[in-house]
Amino acid sequence: MSVTGLLLIGFLVVHLAGNLQLFSDDTGEHFNAYAEKLKSFGPLLYVAEFGLIALFVAHLALGLRVTFENRAARSQRYALDRDRGARSFASSTMVVTGVIVLVFVIVHLLDFRLREMAPDGLAAMVVRRLSEPAGALIYIVGVGALGIHLSHAFRSAMQTLGLNNTRYDVPIARAGKALAIVLGVGFAIFPLVYFSGAKGSTHSASVRAAEPGATEDVYFLGKGGASLRGFEFRGVGAIEPSHLDDVGDPRSIGREEQR
Amino acid sequence: MSSSHDTHAAHDAATSHGAHAEKKSMRLMLHVWRQRDPSAEGKFVTYKLDDVSPDMSFLEMLDVLNERLIAGGDEAIAFDHDCREGICGACSLTINGQPHGFESETTTCQIHMRRFEDGQTIYIEPFRANAFPVVKDLVVDRGAFDRIIAAGGFITARAGSAPDANALPVPQVAADAAMDAAACIGCGACVAACKNASAMLFVSAKVSHLALLPQGQAERNSRVLAMVEQMDKEGFGNCTNESECEAACPKGISVSNIARLNREYLRALASSD
Ligand code: HEM
Ligand code: SF4
Ligand code: FES
Repeated sequence: MSVTGLLLIGFLVVHLAGNLQLFSDDTGEHFNAYAEKLKSFGPLLYVAEFGLIALFVAHLALGLRVTFENRAARSQRYALDRDRGARSFASSTMVVTGVIVLVFVIVHLLDFRLREMAPDGLAAMVVRRLSEPAGALIYIVGVGALGIHLSHAFRSAMQTLGLNNTRYDVPIARAGKALAIVLGVGFAIFPLVYFSGAKGSTHSASVRAAEPGATEDVYFLGKGGASLRGFEFRGVGAIEPSHLDDVGDPRSIGREEQR
Repeated sequence: MSSSHDTHAAHDAATSHGAHAEKKSMRLMLHVWRQRDPSAEGKFVTYKLDDVSPDMSFLEMLDVLNERLIAGGDEAIAFDHDCREGICGACSLTINGQPHGFESETTTCQIHMRRFEDGQTIYIEPFRANAFPVVKDLVVDRGAFDRIIAAGGFITARAGSAPDANALPVPQVAADAAMDAAACIGCGACVAACKNASAMLFVSAKVSHLALLPQGQAERNSRVLAMVEQMDKEGFGNCTNESECEAACPKGISVSNIARLNREYLRALASSD
């Protein structure tokens, strides 16, 4: 559980770094080149992908087993059940946020991995998807749930692996929260930016990527085409701070004083 | 302050807040779990208790209730207790949804009724965990803890007669940490408070207090393996590191012991003996 979870976190860090390529130029060429580079590894890429799926499935299976075993350990519930505020919202919803992440990951793979590559490249596909209201919502909810999951997960894994102690507990818990915020907010920035239209000149890459005279094709890519136009109109806007609050500090729930 | 107590008023004012001015008795509405035997269906029975002294301990309040029940020809409520001074860990009760009640680092027997409000409703339930089956009413069988202790509990090596205390140096840090872990009274509140009914805090305290001391080095690896194996057999849940156990523990056992238990366990798995 802890080992698979930490390895998945390692993947996410690399994944976020890769995604940041989207912002490194206005055309999306860097990002597309990065994706091409990954593809050029050929069979190695499949090995890595298989490994990732295995980690994910193992983590999921262990997580579900733990959850069911734990429910079974107390078949007669308390009539009145009051905790002492040590639990957090995140810690008590691990299986819920985990399953949201699972659904999100399936949608995400269908979106960008299992779908046929658009002629104007991966970057354009991503921008189109994240500019749609439904796309943006799915991605924000998915990575928000991930952020909440991780805010408990890191310290929990350190405890499980015996790497925690009284001296490091507070720094480790803080590092876990920071990691959750960096990954949660980090991934959420993409849908926020593209949906709000704050950035989106990848459009020019789409146009250039298409054959001369075939510019129209860009607009025929199903829903994506429509939203590509939509996001063009939206123009430049700032990210609403209120959007960012969605992935804020998930602790502080359930503290109540009883007398 | 009411004017009918004028004569005492001057005296009260002199003795600061007048906390002892008037020992008003309290009225309570108790919902107590009654269960005839392990296989019977239990239910809450409501009792109204009218003249509870604020100076009574929680268990004395139950004693008073039981005397009334017996006087009225009813069966007394079964509850566990022994030392009544917070050191034996017998008084396993869940008071308003919290094992040992809401006061931090306090056993049920050490709670006084003055901490409750006059007229308050109190739910009293047994500890709930499949590994701690209800014997009767509020009494649960915590034999699972004894079996865990027995699984790892003694050293088979000949220890000889007691050595001179100074012959065995123990660093102060280790002595303190071991002493903190040894404060565990085996009450089971950690299991009762854990949403997974996990026994990790108890086992970690027991494993830690020996692993930290030179005397515990013999059979250090086999001990942790055997205790964890027994813990798993007893049907406790798995730890998900939510620290409710630490918050509920009347002896303030820290979850850092759980990290140590995991460390000891991995270490033992990796070693050859
Ligand atoms: C398929 C979706 C997922 C499910 C169903 C899931 C479920 C769970 C569950 C039930 C737990 C244990 C609960 C607990 O210890 O409190 C857990 C812990 C954890 N999860 Fe996930 N998770 C999922 C995805 C992820 C992902 C994508 C990551 C990594 C980025 C992750 C990282 C972790 C970590 C590090 C832990 C702590 C392990 C420990 O305490 O030993 N999980 N997860
Ligand atoms: S760790 Fe604390 S709560 Fe658990 S059995 Fe020991 S004293 Fe009781
Ligand atoms: S009766 Fe001994 S600790 Fe409460």
